[in-house]
Amino acid sequence: MILTPGIIARLVALGALVAVAQIVCFSKMDVFGSDPDVALLVVISLGVLGGSLTGAVTGFSIGLLMDCLLLETLGGFALAMLSVGYVAGRYRETVGPPTRGAVVLLGGALTLLGAAVIAAIQIGTGIDATVSFLVVRDAIVKSLIGALLAIPVFWVVRLMVRSALVDERRAARRRPVSPTTAGTR
Amino acid sequence: MYRKQVRRRRAVLLLLVAASLTLLSLYYREGNGGPLHGAEKVVSTIFGPIEGGADRALKPVRDLVNWFGETFDARGESDRLRDQVAELRDQLARSQTTKQEAKEIAALDETLSGGIVPDGTDPVTARVIGRSPTVWYSTVTIDEGSSDGVHVDDPVVAPLGLAGKVTQTTPNTAQVTLITDADSAVTARVTSSGATGVVEPDVGNPRDLQLDYLERGTQIAEGQMVVTAGFSTGDLGSIFPPGIPIGEITKATAEEQQAYQRVHLEPFADLRDMSFVKVLTTPSGKGKR
Repeated sequence: MILTPGIIARLVALGALVAVAQIVCFSKMDVFGSDPDVALLVVISLGVLGGSLTGAVTGFSIGLLMDCLLLETLGGFALAMLSVGYVAGRYRETVGPPTRGAVVLLGGALTLLGAAVIAAIQIGTGIDATVSFLVVRDAIVKSLIGALLAIPVFWVVRLMVRSALVDERRAARRRPVSPTTAGTR
Repeated sequence: MYRKQVRRRRAVLLLLVAASLTLLSLYYREGNGGPLHGAEKVVSTIFGPIEGGADRALKPVRDLVNWFGETFDARGESDRLRDQVAELRDQLARSQTTKQEAKEIAALDETLSGGIVPDGTDPVTARVIGRSPTVWYSTVTIDEGSSDGVHVDDPVVAPLGLAGKVTQTTPNTAQVTLITDADSAVTARVTSSGATGVVEPDVGNPRDLQLDYLERGTQIAEGQMVVTAGFSTGDLGSIFPPGIPIGEITKATAEEQQAYQRVHLEPFADLRDMSFVKVLTTPSGKGKR
């Protein structure tokens, strides 16, 4: 991803918007007893499009903002989302641009990873109450919702940062010049 | 060139992980008035009005998705529930948001009727504007804060029953920790038998709570109502006033009562889907009643 000041501003706006929307809207939805984690899907999409560095930095920033907005333990969501963003980015760097199927699988698997990191942080920081098996069900349902929403979220994020994507620029350069404009330059 | 990129990538990753772990560690160590808590509150204060506006703007989207979910759940349930879903659908079609909100506030008032609210308490109605996206943090954010008289430890009541207590405040928002949160514990009483215990959550299952530490030999049956006990011993007292409905006993086996001194209850309040709550504020804000 080619980071110009304009693209950075766009990423900051996208991050703030998705963090607020996640807290006031998506988290309050009830889909099969769970709720969609769209903020995490945006981080996954940015990681897949921009690489591990972009994924980790945007994941950390969006996570930290969510920690602040929810008045939760600072660093909890930040750590979970940066891990997810980094892994998504590493996928891109090792395997290459993902196919549609890969985006769906990444959406599901990395949502599950995010839930696992949050659970690990909670257990690591100490918990007195009993833990229901439904925690696992919630993580699985969230992961399935993540897989379902991965393609539309990826498409929207890609549209927003399209001008900064190296692949898109290469593709545009490869496109043949139309015969009507070929001789006018 | 490639090695340089790899080194830079690793350095940034290490830096971010170290920053996250440092924040986690420092946040746990410092008190409520520490610099990190302060910085967090500043950010939350800035975003508070934006969250409130976004909550109202995105309500139709949320309602539409929830309507699909409710319709799916209602399939196979009784006619009464089907009628209820149809009624909700009609309401949605006519965009009677205002009427719906008035109903919720009326249910809240009904919950607090009958002399439950102690003297000197001023109930403040607040809109639920945010919710944690994970089952581990059972918290919601409300649009009333310290400037509206909301203090830490103020009890919070939802339509039909107890919701939780205020755990953090900013001038215009507050964080409410629900009774389904891992850190929650509420002293409670079974109304018909008078048996007392502590209501604790079963993390991940918002429809199941546990009434623990019951006296051995008490007779508790399914269907009995559980309310806040609101004990007071000298300077020490529960932050919840007595008599606020919490839930109904759903499972009370003799084996579990004997072995673990525990029964299960379902909360009256629908903690996953509430738009308004009442915060029982006091001028002193000490929370104890």
